[in-house]
Amino acid sequence: MKTLLKGLLVLWSGCIFAQSPAPAGGENDPVWNEIKGEKLLTLRLKGDITRGAEAFEICQGCHMGGAKGSVSGSYPRLAGQHATVLIEQIVDIRSGKRSNPKMKAFAHETVISPQEIADIAAYLEALPIPPNLGKGPGTLLTRGKELYSRDCATCHGEKGQGNAAKFYPLVAGQHYKYLLREAHLIRDGERGNANPDMIKAIKPYTNEDLEAVADYISELPAP
Amino acid sequence: MRIGGMLAWQVAVLGLLAATPARADDMEKAKTIAASICVACHGVDGNSVIPNFPKLAGHHPDYIVRQLKEFIAGRRKSDIMVPIVTMVDPNDFKALGDYYGAQKPTPGTVTDAKAAERGKKLYMDGDEDRGVPACSGCHKDDASGNKRFPRLAGQHKEYLITEMNNFKTGVRNSETGRVMREVAKRMSDEEIGAVAEFLTGM
Repeated sequence: MKTLLKGLLVLWSGCIFAQSPAPAGGENDPVWNEIKGEKLLTLRLKGDITRGAEAFEICQGCHMGGAKGSVSGSYPRLAGQHATVLIEQIVDIRSGKRSNPKMKAFAHETVISPQEIADIAAYLEALPIPPNLGKGPGTLLTRGKELYSRDCATCHGEKGQGNAAKFYPLVAGQHYKYLLREAHLIRDGERGNANPDMIKAIKPYTNEDLEAVADYISELPAP
Repeated sequence: MRIGGMLAWQVAVLGLLAATPARADDMEKAKTIAASICVACHGVDGNSVIPNFPKLAGHHPDYIVRQLKEFIAGRRKSDIMVPIVTMVDPNDFKALGDYYGAQKPTPGTVTDAKAAERGKKLYMDGDEDRGVPACSGCHKDDASGNKRFPRLAGQHKEYLITEMNNFKTGVRNSETGRVMREVAKRMSDEEIGAVAEFLTGM
């Protein structure tokens, strides 16, 4: 049964760009990241890198030139992130599904259109990834690696490269403090649009476990 | 081949001859409009000397045109400006934008160096804790702006403060102003004053 479900999931992921997916899951089984409405529309648009560079100007005040984000963890590095992930997150922040009061107003539909979201996503995906700027203390790497290999690598990849088709973000070399902030929000059920599988996986984590994994991921070189 | 080359040159030269006078005409016309209609407030070279009225010199022409249209559309409000804008033929907006965009901007004077220093930090870095973006992200490090975002360098601080408050209260209601309305809400009066002090000296 489990294998069958997994097979279906893979099949479903493959269909995302060609067709609207068939709705899955019953009332008690809400679908994570259901691809419909604006998300589907935006994913179907062809992003343009040159237009994206211009549209991204309004994001630079926070995410910085080159989308390198902030070491303080307030703003993630976006350079090199999968376009699918970026589209998913921007649309979720704009709809309020992902709780992000700082960014929500700036993601309003009168600020960026679906086409601009697609353009920004294409631009960011193609941007060269700057070197890891926001590394952790480096004191919990062994523990971090152990946890990462056991619980995170299945989805985010051995190298932290993520998976564009499945909307799993590239995490390698992300700012330590940002990783830590989001890990807390996800574990504590406060992010809003987190994958239920991930919430389940890190539910038992102590704060130190979260620090260890963030420490390890922040050290991973960009793929 | 040679004849073809000659022809291309002739076409190019004719093209230049045809284009240049037309543009010069536009500039002359824009200058006449500026000298008769805009001059009292904005100065004939776009360097207004009255703190309540913005300097226009050096703005991107597209930005000027868009603001003129915003007044017409009622999304920017001004009891002074709206009746005057309606005196100008919208077909001349572009020439006016080109004219004022081509003028050399003058810097203003900083009177509070400490405030300007605080303003510079906020302009360049923003405030991460409160989600105030760095102004430089859009307006550029030298505050020269571009076609989407206005030039702020050298602008009158009184005008900058008025407009930030217009964003804050929603009086300035253009759709593209949504970002600025949110930014202004996140800034205190003291911070707005400090950034304005910094910008006026640029």
